[in-house]
Amino acid sequence: MAEIQLRNISKRWGSFVGVDNFDLTIPDREFLVLLGPSGCGKTTTMRMIAGLEDPTEGDILVDGKRVNELEPKDRDVAMVFQSYALYPNMNVYDNIRFPLKVRGIDPKSHDEKVRRASAMVELDDFLHRKPAELSGGQRQRVALARAIVREPNVFLMDEPLSNLDAKLRVSTRAQIKNLSHELQVTTVYVTHDQIEAMTLADRVVVMKKGVVQQVGTPTDIYDTPANTFVASFIGNPAMNLMDGELKGGTFHAEHVEIAGFNAPDGKVILGFRAEDAGLGDADHHEITAPIYTLELLGDATMVTVRIGRELVAVRGPKDFRAEIDDQVSLSVPKEICHLFDGETGQRIEA
Amino acid sequence: MATKAQSRITPLTILSVAFVIIWVIIASFPFLWTAWGSFKVQGDFFSKADWTNALIGTNTIAETGSAFTTAGYYGAWVQEEFWRAVLNTSIVVFFTVTISLTFGTLGGYALARSGYKYAFWLLMAALVFRAMPHITLVSGYLLPFFEWNIWGILPTTIIVLVAINQPFTLWMLHSFFLNIPKDLDESAMVDGCTRFQAFRHVIIPVMWPGVITTGLFSFLLAYNDFTVTRMLLSQENETMIPKIASFLGSTQVQGNVMFAVAAVVSATVPLIVLIIFFQRQIVSGLTAGAVKG
Repeated sequence: MAEIQLRNISKRWGSFVGVDNFDLTIPDREFLVLLGPSGCGKTTTMRMIAGLEDPTEGDILVDGKRVNELEPKDRDVAMVFQSYALYPNMNVYDNIRFPLKVRGIDPKSHDEKVRRASAMVELDDFLHRKPAELSGGQRQRVALARAIVREPNVFLMDEPLSNLDAKLRVSTRAQIKNLSHELQVTTVYVTHDQIEAMTLADRVVVMKKGVVQQVGTPTDIYDTPANTFVASFIGNPAMNLMDGELKGGTFHAEHVEIAGFNAPDGKVILGFRAEDAGLGDADHHEITAPIYTLELLGDATMVTVRIGRELVAVRGPKDFRAEIDDQVSLSVPKEICHLFDGETGQRIEA
Repeated sequence: MATKAQSRITPLTILSVAFVIIWVIIASFPFLWTAWGSFKVQGDFFSKADWTNALIGTNTIAETGSAFTTAGYYGAWVQEEFWRAVLNTSIVVFFTVTISLTFGTLGGYALARSGYKYAFWLLMAALVFRAMPHITLVSGYLLPFFEWNIWGILPTTIIVLVAINQPFTLWMLHSFFLNIPKDLDESAMVDGCTRFQAFRHVIIPVMWPGVITTGLFSFLLAYNDFTVTRMLLSQENETMIPKIASFLGSTQVQGNVMFAVAAVVSATVPLIVLIIFFQRQIVSGLTAGAVKG
């Protein structure tokens, strides 16, 4: 049971700003994902919650109690490191048991707890192995078991899947999701992978250069990105963005004309998702341009055209075939479009 | 499972094996020669007439009735009380190694984990002190030591040896600690350790080969030291190496030089035993860079 409040925390090293004025309340049992490119301050934020880094400014509260001055060990958090940080001289059993041992928990209960934790991550057969004798995925599960063994108030995970291969990542992701559902513990999860964020999170915090860009449910940030950074970071492929001008409710750019907007005139950035758009028909042919490239994905064909300096991709039917440089018309109705301010990149409701 | 390629004997393997064997013989010859000769009398081991006497022991047979004699050992250990020197050496070595490892591990760890720039300059200063000839320290200290009346006793020598050795242990342990990922300490601290418990329960067990290797080098420095011990110890507190030198310095007394030979062998054997004993840790300590955490 733990509610975490981060009150205007900042972290600076000299003139370098790691995290700038981060303000957020994480309710009990929430699965919160910090998402952003490397160097955006997401790991620093997590390390401040863990107590491994002191905030330059601001307060961290757990269940209403200020914990800024508490040592990591007194914060009742458990953390899974990106490198797993297993103790190489101990076997799996002792690794999982270590938190119980150093915290002076009744030794009689250790065995049962270790076995329960290892069973949850399916490590029962490897308890006597050293970390060096395990595969990457197994090591990752040892780190997980070590975190859950003492039933902490808060779970912190620092890119736990980034060292796994693609296939294992998917299955471990599912395992973490299931585990968090079972344990019902407040979790903060750091990742740069937007798919992990979308699949795992109750809420996502998108960060860039230490500044929070948007906080919301995965649906929120996918459907209504707050600015062009979030729009281009979330989704695969990323949202198409193109520079243009809005005049009398119509968006103009080279090869592009989309009507029906209700926003003041001026320079804007228009965005839409490849999967929302399609090939043009009699009613909708907002974009007409030569094909830049055609990619066969199996279940669909990605049609890419060039608008100004940007490449714009649209998901077409899987049997669509054309040659590069053929003219193609694309359907991009106003309803699927997002408008962003041409200067600031902030979302414009239209 | 040996594959065909591995088990095939080529001229190159024969050549390299032969080379290694010859090299080992050449390298160990002085010691083997001394060890063998230490059981002879001076007339044989330092025979001017015929070097084979040292092997066969013609004079030894003539003087003692047997090809081997322990007269040298008896003279050194009992008559000249070489055991006192052994005891002194043990005390000096034990405390030098313990003190320099204690400060070395704590200091090396702190410097390795410190984010401040002064850590670098401290290490640079340590390197400068390490590079200085030992005798420079001794000559500077002699007068104050006489004045304070602490010359000639073991603790003074231990302090000077630690001072000479500390920069090196600090450097070596520092680089070992750098090889241990920071995540390990942090993980231990989140798991419930204080900084010191993390050091004690997580870092030191991983560091063990490094500590052993550094400890061995410190041991050798203290064990083999001549400059400092010669200058700073009074006769009754002499350690082995100056003692052996003083045996050699008294060649005018017949047989005394054999005490030196016997003492040399006595002083070398523990080293060999020690290295064989810690061989595994030393090897993994020297290759620690290749081991991932």
